[in-house]
Amino acid sequence: MSGKSIRQQFADTMVEVGQRDQELVVVVGDISHFALQPYAERCPGRYFNIGICESAMTSVGAGLAKLGLIPVLHTIAPFLLERSFEQIKLDFGYHKLGGNFVTVGSAFDYANLGCTHHCYGDFALLKLVEGSQIFFPASPTEFDALFKAAYRSQTVNLFRIPSRSHGIEIAASEIQVGKALRLREGNEVTLVATGPQLANALQAAERLETEKISAEVIYVHSIRPLDTGLLRDSLQRTRHVVVVEEHMQSGGLGDDILRLTREDPQIRFASVSIPDRFVREYGTYDEHCASLGLSPEGIHRAARELVIKSLR
Amino acid sequence: MSDNSHGGVWNESASVANLDLRRKVVELVYQGKDGHIPSALSIIDILHVLYRHVLRHDPQAPKSPTRDYFILSKGHGCVGLYVVLRKFGYVSDDDLKKFCRAGGILGEHPDANHIPGVEASTGSLGHGMPFATGIALALRIRKLDNRVITLVGDGECQEGTIWEAANIAANQRLGNLTVVVDWNLSGAQLMPLDNLPAKWSAFGFRSKVVDGHDEGELKEAFEWSAETRGEQPSVIVARTIKGKGVPFLQGHGPWHHKIPSAEEFERIMEALR
Repeated sequence: MSGKSIRQQFADTMVEVGQRDQELVVVVGDISHFALQPYAERCPGRYFNIGICESAMTSVGAGLAKLGLIPVLHTIAPFLLERSFEQIKLDFGYHKLGGNFVTVGSAFDYANLGCTHHCYGDFALLKLVEGSQIFFPASPTEFDALFKAAYRSQTVNLFRIPSRSHGIEIAASEIQVGKALRLREGNEVTLVATGPQLANALQAAERLETEKISAEVIYVHSIRPLDTGLLRDSLQRTRHVVVVEEHMQSGGLGDDILRLTREDPQIRFASVSIPDRFVREYGTYDEHCASLGLSPEGIHRAARELVIKSLR
Repeated sequence: MSDNSHGGVWNESASVANLDLRRKVVELVYQGKDGHIPSALSIIDILHVLYRHVLRHDPQAPKSPTRDYFILSKGHGCVGLYVVLRKFGYVSDDDLKKFCRAGGILGEHPDANHIPGVEASTGSLGHGMPFATGIALALRIRKLDNRVITLVGDGECQEGTIWEAANIAANQRLGNLTVVVDWNLSGAQLMPLDNLPAKWSAFGFRSKVVDGHDEGELKEAFEWSAETRGEQPSVIVARTIKGKGVPFLQGHGPWHHKIPSAEEFERIMEALR
């Protein structure tokens, strides 16, 4: 696996797609400006470092889409999604205009910057927009494949870029919109992971194996559309599911999977996520993860308790 | 110019144009039991000049790529737009009859998904003008010469996104964009520091103040703003009177969103004869 950051892949993908597609227009709010210079040079007149004004930037993006251009709007997640939510809802969503929202600052990636720069309710927020697509590409290959597959769909598309990859090599040919991946087979508990937490989920599965608990690991990069087929199949076999995500418990991937579990009252569910409260502490990304249980130990513990509880 | 420091009413000429359109506005609101009569009467003369003299438009081909784009950013003035769209053939009498009724296409805010000739669904203030700015930028990217004109309210100019977009438009040198401000002093009721021409000039717009009920002045201003196309966006700050044409509706009283009773309806219609 290359050491390239996903953010660098974003910049590289813009160059490639922008040269091929004359309708791609990249608008940023003074974030990734230097990384995007190759795009700006090779796609003259279609790159705008528009200023620090995310709400108007979003409406401007919708105006670009009105004339058939394909806007890519990019800045730090809370400013683009939370501040500008009404613009996303009305100017893009209600008008049925397509736009691509590429964010950095996934969940608490900007760990020490605190609440102003954290964004862990974005899946919930974007689900409120009719027809939206939500992607969490946690490797360069995934970003490239998902962006190319989805950027021209006439929908609001969120690409949440994490600062850290899960580090697992997945071939581009396996990455499809709306398709989850079964990365480990098991029959007693399903660990569903999204984003960088895939690495921790795989480690937790190894630990469970040493305790003779057979864990299946499903990786989800498309939060919406969600691969309910693969998930339903796994849940019906294992009857236990632990959803691992760097998102608030409310409105995240877990909520959608919880809905699936209602189809079979015997399926037991647990969530390893951010509780419905602010992350108020300072610390590194890893320290935040550890305190929230978003770690091999935390996932292992949640899965073990779930399985053992049902045996009692 | 009258003192506007407390949201008063401009001292403009007593003559009233477009009486037929004004009566239709009132009929629509009376029948539909919803709508903002004074806001519509404030902008009706601007809308009429736009569709009659300024915009390149074709009701037979509302989505023609050669059309000019008009965005009513202050969506609550839409009843004025509807009667103008009827006059120029975009909507029918039947559409007007179904105003605010199930199965109709005309609601209390304009909906671009339903109404031919309406480019943006507005109502929440501060959206239409930035959206229009994006259209102006897109036209420049596509090297097209269509104009973009957006009509904003003076109260709407209290929204931050208006100034964010003004900043963008001026810095991106969007001379194909004209903003019309419906300066009827409703904004000054809340924020008396209301020197809108100076504010727009400070943001880099060419600015002109006109009587928003005078067809001649409006035509001239739109010609002036067309000449600026190329580099600098322009603003036409139109002094208007909320409720223009019906003395007892004028100003900023309870009529903003009031539906007339049968007796009031007769009085309003009498004033507009």
